[in-house]
Amino acid sequence: MNYKIKYDVIVIGAGPSGVSAAINCAQKGLQVLIVDISHNTGGQIYRAPPKSYKHISEKKLQENKTQEYLSREIKKNNIFTAYNHTVWQVSPGFKVDAFNDISTIQWHAKNIIVATGTYEKIIPFDGWTNPGIIGLAACTVMLKSHHFIPSQKIILAGNGPLLLLVAYYIIEFGGEVEAIIDTSSKFDWIKSTVSLISNPKNFKDGIKWLTKILFNKVPIYSNSMIAKATQHNEYIKVKIQNINTGKQESLVTGTLAVGHGLIPSTDITRLLGAKHIYNESKGGWIAEIDDYLRSSLDGLYVTGDGAGISGAIAAKDKGLIASLALLYDEKIIKEKEFKIKTKKIFKRLYKYELFAKAIAKLNSTPPQLLNNIKDETILCRCEDITKKDILEAIDNGAKDLNQLKSWTRFGMGPCQGRTCQYSVAKVVAEELKCNVEDIGYLTGRSPIRPVPLDRAIGEFDYNEITKIEAAPL
Amino acid sequence: MSKTDIAIIGGGINGASTALELAKNGLKVTLLDKHSICKGASGVNAGTLTMHMTRAQLIPYAKKGWELWMSTNKWLSKDIDVEKRNGLCLAFTEDEEKLLNERSKIRKEYGADIEIISKKEALRIDPNINKNIKCAAFCAMDGYVSANQTGYAYSKALKEHKVKILNNFEVTEIEFSENNYTILSKTGEKLISKKLILATGVHLNKALELLNIKVNIKCLPQQLIVSERMPKVMDTVITVANGKLSLKQFKNGTVLIGGGWPGIGSAEENFTATKSENLIGNMRLACHAIPKLKRSRVARVWLGLEAETDDAMPIIGELPDFNNAYIIGSIHSGYTSGPYMGKLLAKKILGEDVDLSLFDIKRFL
Ligand SMILES: Cc1cc2nc3c(=O)[nH]c(=O)nc-3n(C[C@H](O)[C@H](O)[C@H](O)COP(=O)(O)OP(=O)(O)OC[C@H]3O[C@@H](n4cnc5c(N)ncnc54)[C@H](O)[C@@H]3O)c2cc1C
Repeated sequence: MNYKIKYDVIVIGAGPSGVSAAINCAQKGLQVLIVDISHNTGGQIYRAPPKSYKHISEKKLQENKTQEYLSREIKKNNIFTAYNHTVWQVSPGFKVDAFNDISTIQWHAKNIIVATGTYEKIIPFDGWTNPGIIGLAACTVMLKSHHFIPSQKIILAGNGPLLLLVAYYIIEFGGEVEAIIDTSSKFDWIKSTVSLISNPKNFKDGIKWLTKILFNKVPIYSNSMIAKATQHNEYIKVKIQNINTGKQESLVTGTLAVGHGLIPSTDITRLLGAKHIYNESKGGWIAEIDDYLRSSLDGLYVTGDGAGISGAIAAKDKGLIASLALLYDEKIIKEKEFKIKTKKIFKRLYKYELFAKAIAKLNSTPPQLLNNIKDETILCRCEDITKKDILEAIDNGAKDLNQLKSWTRFGMGPCQGRTCQYSVAKVVAEELKCNVEDIGYLTGRSPIRPVPLDRAIGEFDYNEITKIEAAPL
Repeated sequence: MSKTDIAIIGGGINGASTALELAKNGLKVTLLDKHSICKGASGVNAGTLTMHMTRAQLIPYAKKGWELWMSTNKWLSKDIDVEKRNGLCLAFTEDEEKLLNERSKIRKEYGADIEIISKKEALRIDPNINKNIKCAAFCAMDGYVSANQTGYAYSKALKEHKVKILNNFEVTEIEFSENNYTILSKTGEKLISKKLILATGVHLNKALELLNIKVNIKCLPQQLIVSERMPKVMDTVITVANGKLSLKQFKNGTVLIGGGWPGIGSAEENFTATKSENLIGNMRLACHAIPKLKRSRVARVWLGLEAETDDAMPIIGELPDFNNAYIIGSIHSGYTSGPYMGKLLAKKILGEDVDLSLFDIKRFL
């Protein structure tokens, strides 16, 4: 593929939201480039299996089929694609740097649509960094795109519908779910049913998953969390604790998959210095957006779960909204068309928002989970920073997250705080008796993902290195 | 309303060092910062303690600063990652060789113990450097300090010496009478002080404006690049003839690439962003100097804002036409000499005979 140097729109992220936004822009004649780390469309939810996996074409999941549909649509609409490209930097004036297997490349864009979705939230507990423990969302990737179960026997812990989905697929692929440890109560689930029905397609899926789980007599521990996990040679010992009564019980398993919901990805909007707000039910810090998903910066739009978690079906519609706003701002569609089209979509979105709120409730973090973090528990696993390290720095006068980062090195490792920022912020807010929004968020830093130096610099002669003025003597 | 003997505006290396020295001599000191201590240039700089990049006239001060950094366990904290390393300044072309000879000679005249060595000798000192150098300049007085940790150390030390630290105190107004300064913050807090020190880094011009003094301070947005942790790839601190590279590997295995390659940024808006071509340029130069670096990945890029006067020399000393008002800042390679410069200003304030004429603000008025 020959890339152009400048595009009307670069869409970052080829999940359902990015794809729908890209198509909508392309259909109105804009030059669109869509970029994704993965080798195809799909995003996290419809993640495409690796090309070399021949067997998957024989036994396709619904997700794999949806992914193929998205790819066909992208092709049909003459959208430029840069799959296998990791965006590592976006700078003002919209320069987008990305790397692939060989080199890095830079594109320019008049507008950017950020559709980078979410990453998963894990509230730390003693032993959570052991190798046999993986994320619940990571587990879905293994299942959906690799058709692979991490071990024959597995315990699932955390909260929300992902517990059910993962359990369903593990049983489907011949694995054994030894227990589901859910922080919510059965009553929480029943309460949310009314709202969950507002999205019949997802509700139906939920029933399908639950039926399989019940049929297989998977033990469900409601109102419960993992208090501690210890790794042994052949197994993991998991200590389960009821969050109301404190009663504990130990189980032994092959793999423990844990997830406490999702966090919107804000790497790009933070890097560009857009405004952000804190909204716990939407996943935490998100870019400040108007109803039409415009960020605080001209030409920068945010869509999908990255703009606040509301799920895959809503994501598609949010993609339409963001792209309509862009088309209207670019004077490609008139106000009338803009208003009529968005109004229709907002009606649908309203229903999805009800659904999203119910899910958010199920995914909310009970205080007991945070109280379970001990002084010696690692919060930042890249740099091995414990709760105690954080508390000590606070004791010595650190008052916000960036100060703590600089003093303790939390968030300085390869993940740049994606994994730990949420829980560190909760711990700090609790200690300082303030709100999470009062202590700020980590300043966005490039690269968004670690960049291999050899690819960044490419082949060069010494005399080709950019010349800059010598330092004064 | 609180009162203090001396108010220092700006908690960077300059403000904090001055504060510590004054407090150790028994003064009642209040340190104000609009954010918090060492979050400006002093918390994000490269921490290279080298003579090879220091302005010739500042060499004597940098040497004293270097000695202070190497003995932080005695006066600041035991927990700072400071290390002495050999310093190699490389020349890759004949032109650079000439430049290196000239610059090293002048630095030597000002007291830096620098000598030009052969390629063979340089490769013996650090076998990891590019085999195609022409020659190198060697200085044993080199090393680094992890800048992100010093704020932590200073804040503990200042607390211990009873310095009052007021974070989130952005000074927006200073009223002055014959024997008092009334310092007002953006949010309406008030502090009365007998003496005043301006140490606001890249905002030095802004602080001076509050006293109706106009001095031009340029804002240099500079980029830094740090790798992931990796096995040892170098033994020395590496610089180059024109001063546009600083490179070293910390104890934790990360390699820091700097050298003052400009990014985008504004002190006024407190905004910074990277300039891609300069990032790539800086990375290329680093990988040219230490080829093994190519194997690593960049973990993070960040920027800091450095202050520079029109003649790129510091302003330190008394403000003319004011009683008991002082200024310190805009010091080239200012992190290296910061602890010493702070000490000097403190001595001056305490009435000792210190010659600061080289840094007198009057040259700009
Ligand atoms: C990227 C980078 C790399 C560098 N690398 C090196 C190096 O390797 N070696 C070296 O020797 N030097 C280096 N330097 C230079 C060195 O960092 C600076 O010279 C030094 O830190 C300046 O210290 P300072 O105290 O004057 O300013 P700062 O550290 O910037 O402190 C000024 C403080 O004043 C506060 N302030 C400003 N206005 C107000 C107000 N109105 N009210 C209250 N508070 C206010 C700010 O919040 C800030 O904390 C580098 C600089 C940068 C930017």
